[in-house]
Amino acid sequence: MSEYKKVRIKKGPKGWGGPLVIEPKPGRDLIYSVTGGGIHPVAAKIAELTGGKAFDGFKSKADFSEIAVAVIDCGGTARVGVYPMKKVFTVDVHPTSPAGPLMRFITEDLFVSGVRPEDIEVVS
Amino acid sequence: MVKYAAHITGIGPLLSEFAEAGILVFFGPNAPEELTEFAVIHDGQALAEPVVAGDVFALGDERYRLLAVGEVANQNLAALGHFIIKFNGATEPEMPGDICAEARSLPALAVGMRFQFSAHG
Repeated sequence: MSEYKKVRIKKGPKGWGGPLVIEPKPGRDLIYSVTGGGIHPVAAKIAELTGGKAFDGFKSKADFSEIAVAVIDCGGTARVGVYPMKKVFTVDVHPTSPAGPLMRFITEDLFVSGVRPEDIEVVS
Repeated sequence: MVKYAAHITGIGPLLSEFAEAGILVFFGPNAPEELTEFAVIHDGQALAEPVVAGDVFALGDERYRLLAVGEVANQNLAALGHFIIKFNGATEPEMPGDICAEARSLPALAVGMRFQFSAHG
């Protein structure tokens, strides 16, 4: 009945964590790109495959409860921890490992890094 | 030569989580609210030239020599006004977004305080 598809996102080269299985749901279907320069290609690919809505977190506001997955281009310290702390699935396009003051929140079941578009596949 | 200059416009309520570890997180004015909780918010605009090791970071009346600049730090700064500066004395960035500076204590931060990156000299 759902118009959404499930994807499996695995870590890329030198990445950490995951794999994550992401399935948008009605009311929780934003692919939340918190990246420089607009919607990141990884977020665009997740949106395309799942039927979720690509969303630019630097342009508009959304509630955490609406976010299916956050895509970040974090260099390792801040964004990398903020979304896992809020229990939001988090995909970092840079190959970071848990570090920094928020590292206790960064866990394999919530976080995957080093992700490229080809690391995302539809699962049934 | 000044490469990037701004004034602090806001200080997140959870900034001390990072500041106590000698880390400051900066974001420009468009950052989503969840990121501003831990951060210094500022009104910075364009990055004139990439920041490199050897440059000076001025924060209020304090001056800190930069010792290392991670490979994505300039990209974050130019696109988002975002940077992470670790006052840890490290000469190699631990993370690709890190800017590392001399390990010295930080001034008390306040809205209106100026900061800038400039070339040494």
